[in-house]
Amino acid sequence: MTDAELSEAEKTFILHSVQDNFREDGRGNEDFRHMEVETGLISNTNGSARVRLANTDVLVGVKVQLTAVDPEKPEVGRLDFFIDCSANATPAFEGRGGEDLGSEISAMLTRAYSCPSAVDFHSLCVLPGQQCWLLYVDVLLLECGGNLFDAVSIAVKAALFNLKIPNVTMTKDEGGVELDLSDDPFDFKRLNVAGAPVVVTVNKIGHKHVVDASEKEEECTLARIILGVTEKGTITSMRKEGSGSLDSDSISEMMESARKVGMELNKILLKALEEEEKQGAKTVGFLR
Amino acid sequence: MPTDTRRLTGPESSQSPYNFAPCSKLDMRNLEVRPDGRSFKQLRPLFLRTDVVSQARGSSYIEMNDTKAICAVYGPREVLRREDFSLKGQLTCDFKFATFSCKQRRQHQQDSQEKDLSVQVLEALEPAVCLHKYPKSQINIFITVLQHDGCALSAAIMCASLALASAGIEMYDLVVASSAAICGSLTLVDPTAQEEETILKSTVKLDANAGSVTVAYLPSMSQVSALSSDGELSFEVLNKSMQECVANCQRLYPVLEQTLVKHQQELEASKS
Amino acid sequence: MAAPMMVCIPGKKICRAGDKYVPGAGTFLRNGFIHSSLVGVVKESTDEKNVKTISVVGKENNSIIPYIDAIVIARVTNVNPRFCKCEILSVGKHNLQDAYRGMIRKEDVRALERDRIEMHKCFRPGDIIAARVMSLGDAQSYLLTTAENELGVVSALSESGVPMVPVTWCKMQCPKTLTEEFRKVAKVQPEFIKFSHS
Repeated sequence: MTDAELSEAEKTFILHSVQDNFREDGRGNEDFRHMEVETGLISNTNGSARVRLANTDVLVGVKVQLTAVDPEKPEVGRLDFFIDCSANATPAFEGRGGEDLGSEISAMLTRAYSCPSAVDFHSLCVLPGQQCWLLYVDVLLLECGGNLFDAVSIAVKAALFNLKIPNVTMTKDEGGVELDLSDDPFDFKRLNVAGAPVVVTVNKIGHKHVVDASEKEEECTLARIILGVTEKGTITSMRKEGSGSLDSDSISEMMESARKVGMELNKILLKALEEEEKQGAKTVGFLR
Repeated sequence: MPTDTRRLTGPESSQSPYNFAPCSKLDMRNLEVRPDGRSFKQLRPLFLRTDVVSQARGSSYIEMNDTKAICAVYGPREVLRREDFSLKGQLTCDFKFATFSCKQRRQHQQDSQEKDLSVQVLEALEPAVCLHKYPKSQINIFITVLQHDGCALSAAIMCASLALASAGIEMYDLVVASSAAICGSLTLVDPTAQEEETILKSTVKLDANAGSVTVAYLPSMSQVSALSSDGELSFEVLNKSMQECVANCQRLYPVLEQTLVKHQQELEASKS
Repeated sequence: MAAPMMVCIPGKKICRAGDKYVPGAGTFLRNGFIHSSLVGVVKESTDEKNVKTISVVGKENNSIIPYIDAIVIARVTNVNPRFCKCEILSVGKHNLQDAYRGMIRKEDVRALERDRIEMHKCFRPGDIIAARVMSLGDAQSYLLTTAENELGVVSALSESGVPMVPVTWCKMQCPKTLTEEFRKVAKVQPEFIKFSHS
């Protein structure tokens, strides 16, 4: 994933710093890096957000489209995640290079959002048994600086918070379905994202674990667990990643850390988003 | 969606008629006996056999009632693509549901779920294989689920670990896997497809805790090599069911051990 | 050994490692114990210092790959002035299921007069050679050497398609047409003959 090759000495240095709960950039093991979140910055989308977490830069656009319902679940709408690992971020993504990473992230997001309490899927159904909204959540990785999973999930949650779904009324005639779209641009509904999870990655380094690992720290880890954590502290999906193995006690400890961090992260994110909404802060964009 | 131009494909999406039938879902809230008559903590009988594909270096077959999978291991062989060069051996894994294995017909190309499962099987096995003994080589694992009735991931992991062992690939340990589905206070060990789907595909919230957990375990090292959960679970419930899965893995381990030992004894007997 | 046959599976603890017992093939060391890494039967071998080497012997056709210092049998596929390419067919006594690519550089063909070597006077495509693995090489191929008397061309066909007979260390003769062709001929030792027939 990264092109940062570390020597044994550098790895040992990072290992020791994690052991002492004082990481190379001065953080503790359960601290996040500085993060910037901005929403509503792309006009052609129904909801968009950009997250910058230290050197990781992620842009998310959500577009809503009408589609036929899934016959297995006729009364709910759907979410569709796509991660575009652009070669801008690292040349390794060129061509099909980023495909595996992209499908891994989108699989994790799909699973994290697959529980019924994540968002109100029933409100995304326009006409039960016929038509529903399909939310295309497209993620563009602009820069990779470690901890992609978490940054992407935060950006997705922010974009869903920002989402404005036009109000559509559908009526069934004898001839078929009639669709009525309101022409008032301010006639839209919002999605409640209070139950939406954020993804927290906990990396095992030596005998301890860290959250929000930098690129260098990711090089040092053999196993990590990735969890979707909601504001209430429930875990919506989990998987272990990497070529190493873990003992079950340390998994419990890592899960506990992830839950603590995830709950806090959800709270802060929602507060920041609400504040931004209230202030109507002008967009900063990409040039700062 | 990428399509295979060399074949005549059916329509892009089609539906099983059973999707329109009255719901076959279970009533989880008032579930007293499981549909197949097992108790909640009862595992399905496990049947294993090694060396079933003659061309492969190693292979195995697994059956857990109606979940059936076959796995073949090829290699170690040379890595052909130049950029994949590494002094550590590489493991690749290809997980596929046979097109007729599930309720809904599967495409012949790997879909995203199968890709995700491939990665999970791979990561469950990687810690167990002595890859440093196979420099510049790759070991390919191919898993086909012939019939899917729940716990495909754990069946695939066990099947693949047995196939690797029968291929004579050096390993630190076998890998045993087990799943559980959780709904409220109920924990259903080794769930069937119907039980899995009722819990995971529900559009209404069944309970504060509804989901499933799969754990892969290295018994002689007491390490967890894969861990995956779906649905929404509280920390305590997740932790508890994880421990339960580990305990079940330890119960399954002797079955795997016996399969390999018996097979080896037969080989030795035929030699002398 | 009259003791009952002990069948192991990967990860199984065999015994404590120490001065008397050392881990051999098919085993690994963890926390001071010898564990099996294969499915197979435990074998003990005692050397003159009374140290017992514990090894596990699995299937006949072990998953062997070329390793450094191994004697390999290879078929020459391509010869050019700087090096020749070949495919490794067997390692020691074991045949490989899939061929590995190997390469012999000009300077590794023989030990003496290395600067006067002409590749096409040493190997031709199709020759079967015995060689030693020098290093794991690069992404492409293993590096092999034939710079020993016992290494080099073992079997080659003449232009008329007849197996040739070695006449000197650098020439082989066709028994039909009696023409001589240049090769880096191996002085085949009895143990190599055993290799090729077993």
